[in-house]
Amino acid sequence: MHCGRFSAPIDRRAMLARCANGFGAMALSALLREPAFGADAAGPAGATGLHHPAKARSVIFLYMDGGPSQMDTFDPKPRLDREHGKPIAVKTAPTQFNNVGAVLRSPWKFNRYGECGAPVSDLFPHVARHVDDLAIIRSMTSEFSEHTAANYFLHTGSGLQGRPSHGAWTTYGLGTESEDLPGFVVLNGGLIPPGGQDCFSNGFLPATFQGSVFRPSAEAVANIRPAESAPGGQLRKLDLIRDLDRGVADRKGRPDAMEAAIANYELAYRMQSAVPDLMRLDGESPATRSLYGLDDAFEPTRIFARECLIARRLVERGVRFVEVLCPSVGHDRWDQHSKLKEGHERNARAVDRPISGLLADLKGRGLLDSTLVFWGGEFGRTPMAQGSDGRDHNPFGFTVWLAGGGIKGGVTHGETDDYGYHAVVDKVAMYDLHATMLHLLGLDHKRLTFRFGGRDMRLTDVHGELVTPILA
Amino acid sequence: MMRGRAPWPALVFLVGLMHGALRGDEVDATADPAMVEFFEKQVRPILVERCFGCHGPEKQKGELRLDSRAAVLEGGTTGPAVEPGDVESSLLVEAIRYGDLQMPPKSKLPPAEIEVLTRWVERGVPWGVESKEAATTVRAGLDGSSEFARRARFWSFQPIRDVSPPAVAGALADWPRNPIDLFLLSALEARGLAPAEEAARRTLIRRLTFDLIGLPPTPEEVAAFESDDAPDAYDRLVERLLASPRYGERWGRHWLDLVRFAETAGHEFDYDLLNAWRYRDYVVRAFNLDLPYDRFVVEQVAGDLLPSPRRNPADGSNESIQGTGFYWLGEGVHSPIDVRDEGVRRVDNQIDVLSKTFLGLTVSCARCHDHKFDPISARDYYALAGFLRSTRHQQAFLDSDVRIAPIVADLNARKRALADRLGEAASRLESPRRDEVEAVLGRAIPAPPSAGDFPPADLHAWKASGDAFAIATRPTAFRIDLREDDSRLIEAPAGSLHSGLTADRLQGVARSPTFTIGKPFLQVLASGVASRVNIVIDGFEKVRDPIYGGLTRRLDSQETAWINFDVRAWIGHRAYIEACDGAAAEFTGATTNPVDGRGWLALLGVRESDDAGRPAEAVAARNIALKTLLRELEAVDSPLASRIASTLAEYRELAARLPDPTLALAAIDGDGEDESLMLRGSPKSLGEAVPRRLLAVLGGAAPEASSTGSGRLDLARTMVDAASNPLLPRVLVNRIWKQHFGEGLVRSTDDFGAMGQAPSHPELLDWLASEFIRRGWSIKAVHRLILGSAAYRMSSRSTTEADQADPTNALLHRMNVRRLEAEAVRDALLVVSGRLDSRLGGPSVAPHLSPFMEGRGRPAASGPLDGDGRRSLYLQVRRNFLNPMFQVFDAPVPFTTIGRRHASNVPAQALTLLNDPLVLDLADSWAARLLAEGGPDASDASRIDRLYRQAFGRAPTADEVARCVSFLAARRRSEPSSPRAVWGDLGHALFNVKEFVYVD
Repeated sequence: MHCGRFSAPIDRRAMLARCANGFGAMALSALLREPAFGADAAGPAGATGLHHPAKARSVIFLYMDGGPSQMDTFDPKPRLDREHGKPIAVKTAPTQFNNVGAVLRSPWKFNRYGECGAPVSDLFPHVARHVDDLAIIRSMTSEFSEHTAANYFLHTGSGLQGRPSHGAWTTYGLGTESEDLPGFVVLNGGLIPPGGQDCFSNGFLPATFQGSVFRPSAEAVANIRPAESAPGGQLRKLDLIRDLDRGVADRKGRPDAMEAAIANYELAYRMQSAVPDLMRLDGESPATRSLYGLDDAFEPTRIFARECLIARRLVERGVRFVEVLCPSVGHDRWDQHSKLKEGHERNARAVDRPISGLLADLKGRGLLDSTLVFWGGEFGRTPMAQGSDGRDHNPFGFTVWLAGGGIKGGVTHGETDDYGYHAVVDKVAMYDLHATMLHLLGLDHKRLTFRFGGRDMRLTDVHGELVTPILA
Repeated sequence: MMRGRAPWPALVFLVGLMHGALRGDEVDATADPAMVEFFEKQVRPILVERCFGCHGPEKQKGELRLDSRAAVLEGGTTGPAVEPGDVESSLLVEAIRYGDLQMPPKSKLPPAEIEVLTRWVERGVPWGVESKEAATTVRAGLDGSSEFARRARFWSFQPIRDVSPPAVAGALADWPRNPIDLFLLSALEARGLAPAEEAARRTLIRRLTFDLIGLPPTPEEVAAFESDDAPDAYDRLVERLLASPRYGERWGRHWLDLVRFAETAGHEFDYDLLNAWRYRDYVVRAFNLDLPYDRFVVEQVAGDLLPSPRRNPADGSNESIQGTGFYWLGEGVHSPIDVRDEGVRRVDNQIDVLSKTFLGLTVSCARCHDHKFDPISARDYYALAGFLRSTRHQQAFLDSDVRIAPIVADLNARKRALADRLGEAASRLESPRRDEVEAVLGRAIPAPPSAGDFPPADLHAWKASGDAFAIATRPTAFRIDLREDDSRLIEAPAGSLHSGLTADRLQGVARSPTFTIGKPFLQVLASGVASRVNIVIDGFEKVRDPIYGGLTRRLDSQETAWINFDVRAWIGHRAYIEACDGAAAEFTGATTNPVDGRGWLALLGVRESDDAGRPAEAVAARNIALKTLLRELEAVDSPLASRIASTLAEYRELAARLPDPTLALAAIDGDGEDESLMLRGSPKSLGEAVPRRLLAVLGGAAPEASSTGSGRLDLARTMVDAASNPLLPRVLVNRIWKQHFGEGLVRSTDDFGAMGQAPSHPELLDWLASEFIRRGWSIKAVHRLILGSAAYRMSSRSTTEADQADPTNALLHRMNVRRLEAEAVRDALLVVSGRLDSRLGGPSVAPHLSPFMEGRGRPAASGPLDGDGRRSLYLQVRRNFLNPMFQVFDAPVPFTTIGRRHASNVPAQALTLLNDPLVLDLADSWAARLLAEGGPDASDASRIDRLYRQAFGRAPTADEVARCVSFLAARRRSEPSSPRAVWGDLGHALFNVKEFVYVD
């Protein structure tokens, strides 16, 4: 069942009125992209939309692949300067590379910014201007020191493969407001995180909630370009398919599943034009371009700027959850086991201005209030050197920040010890972060469940407490 | 009762001793009013504010509560919380000081509060007034409790009832074709419903063909069935399909969903699981053979331990052992920080898959605590975990005894003859040559300094896989280097564990007994070429950098020397040593490779040491150039020299005929060890060891006392005893039912516990389970029963009234419409387009890599777009590079048992069928096939008819023909192009008609 001629964009309500005729509930829900758990869950239905009024409508998840160093970005530690080159005076936990060097001071200076006076290092001069909008969590913790397990944990609340990603949980809970785009989009700037596509998996949830990986390029999504080169070629085919489908469905008593699949072609068709539209940035003003750094001299900055701008456009179009992946900077990801200075500088240069541009642009358009922005990696880094000039993985205490949708700006939450090694005050577990993000979206992490393998599974497993001091 | 042992055993012992003495002091501590005041004013407020949230009346995390003195002294799973008067020994103090244990978890307490609590402990833990209720805390475990008994009464644990089908009278009394229908009909009639009418023949053959072999029927098959008037036409169709080798491919794939089949380990580098495809082929063969299910289960649980394993009739290889491959198909972390934790995680996944697949139980839920709903305690979990802790990973040799052993026997006989002749020769030669020859024939090595009671030092206790390893004994304790130009005799010290005694080409792995790493250094006295020694700690076999690189060493020296391994980081861990001459995986590169099997390895001794100092005694093996020896011998005894030369020539010729071994991923027994209870599933908090046994609710049978290894074979045999384990047959017949009807009688196919769903027809389920056992656990017999029912033949057409009365079709008033699974969608495209390559089995086809498939571990080269036309089953499953088309159509991520796939509806499905290059390519092939088959003059209508019959197993309606004809006309008008392009477009459209992917 395709409405009209597949071409003219029509009013959503009108379209539904026309499409809904003769459709089962399943088809309608597929069309509205509302959660389909009732149709497929093995157990009782999970979530039923909002649990409480939402502060945020959508999420932009700026994933800093590899784990940026907290001591070099948002959590200054004078003790490192004092003890630079000396052995660290506390017991060290095993690290992955087990090459524990001396205390390593930060190569960057910190300045205080904004009314809140939060210190930010010279790695982030642009983001620093937004500190009054950020809630900086300095006491983030993870449970894994290896990239892959830590990535799964950050993304899915479990260190193992195959669990639903936070984006999948979010769209499972809330659906999407977009008529022609999937609810969970991942922008691939070049670095797929260790752990691969499973970081964006629907896990045991239906495939509807799978993250769709878009490349910020002309052919953004696999199979998005119509196969037919001739104008009208695909439409002619789709017309035939619609007619033949209609006959078959009628003869078979219009089974729900088949009706839903028929309706699905409508969305697919629209995606074919919506996705290229999304990627076409020629309508953006020169001011916007320069705000994001779209024409920056450094190519990774241009890539990330494009991703951030597309992230905003996705949010404008009602996409629920956008994850933004880092570009390659011709050096390692934020994973500086050596050459901290060069590596962090290049990675920061790629993202600083685009993120600042994104925050400013969202704010200017009134979207920041309803968009929850997350910045952070899967873990932080050690205060002592790995070798002479690197830092190893550190899941015991690190920094992430949140901004926008329901977040109290200008707040710094939690503390690490004097070295910046372990979180010691107001520790935030990954589960707490997830619980808090869901909360802002109007979802109760304890009630957002899906029956699988004999349990009502949650993003937060059996854990999770709200980080209330950062809530507006 | 889960009374754990603390990770500090000495401390707990001490506490135990002191417990009695403290009882007296308790009274004093509470009687002093100053002390009571101190407690009430300073201590209790801290406890209430900071601790009770998790350790009070509401919650008792770690089974600890701090709201009564008795409870504090009793402690939690890690032992008593305090040691009155002894600050340094008190866990509570350690925790608030943020030692290894950190409490409260969120933030360290302010220093003043830490001080108060410390003083409180120092003063002997004074207490105030407390209610009687709080003073008596009782921690009850699930084992043996009344709660356990209550839960054990749940339906699924009850014996399979001997039920008779209900009698049915009335108008529909002649509807039933077999007893299944009687059960269904009586339930339908009770609700005033009637079964749907029988589906058309063409619908039935399409349904049956997809169900049994996963492919669409050919137009000829449809026509033959439609015109077959014999009364047994349907039954013969069923038999034809059950006998097809495609049947095993179809049902094997269902099975692979249960065992999270994949061929790589995922995580950072996505290492290959070498030879994992052999498990896939094993499963396909087992289904085709209709291997009795109880046998199938025993083979998977313990096929490596069967005294007389099942042999492949074609080549005599060991079939049974390949079943155990299922244990190793899970994911594996690259270089985990905590290797014990990784081992625990791996066992957790093995238990998860084992219990869900075979028992329909979620035993893994009991890893951290007693199961919340089912009669499965944490002890049950760790009792099972012991079997797996005692089990190792290996590449098993499947056909050594058939193909290799006879040649080896022949070689060894010749070697003995050669040794005799060399001995004879020695007596003819002068010293020093004579001494050299005698020495090479078997010099005793000085035994390495006594290792005390260090199990791996006893080389006789090592166990070998494969054909290469043996203990060198005189007089054949030498190696023959068979190089044509420079053959040599090389000494192999008698008593050494050697892999090159017979021929370098032989492969094998020898594994030491399991031991506890007790000293900082582990040293191995060895020599070898192109071989490898690994230290496998806590079963972690992916030994490589950055953390584990030092635990694997390639040997490349003829000289014998001590090799030093620094194991400081793993003192206290369980380990074994692996000596590999081929037949094992090497993880040191970016990808997994097999260890090069062309070399040899000789192991002379093992010891543990406090220092790394390497004793300086690299000893070169004596060797004698055969050319020289023979020349010298020629001078003194020419006939003997030529006898030796000819024996050598035969030897060389025989050795060259040694084939490579056939290897498969499998289990091998280690030493039997029990696993310890773990607090919240963490190996950092160990409790007491739990003896190995099956779940208590299934009888709890333990292995025979005489069993020395893991005891898995005993476990397997109790698992398949339906008298004590009614789950095994119930779960399996339900799985078969699910695949035929779209939903199981129990919809939660992998969970027959309290959180699962109740059976819609409990009597029918039991009747089927009984029939299954009665018919020798024959899976094909269950197919015949189900497919022979009238219910299976029902039409799927829905009617409003019936759907209102039975909205989820739980009562089966009609057949369910089902969407094809991902693999079947692709297979159908291949068949219809004529591109299917129907070869059975073999190594997998490498995945085609689109530009969207990126990330670490990406294979260097992409596989072919069409997967060489092989069935989807044969496309390699790489965890980090799962097939995008399959993912779109709900193929599961292989991490646990999935008995019920989703059938979701996402736009990517439409985009795939509309725009994917493979789909277009196949549409084009279909057009070419059509044009070739029908000849150049065939009419449009006849060609459309052909397409419809191939794609949908039916003729098109007049309306459909008309629409296709007008599509063709419009297509030709607007874009003049070749007939193949035009028909390719029509075929492509038909691929997108929903009937292509839905079966009714």
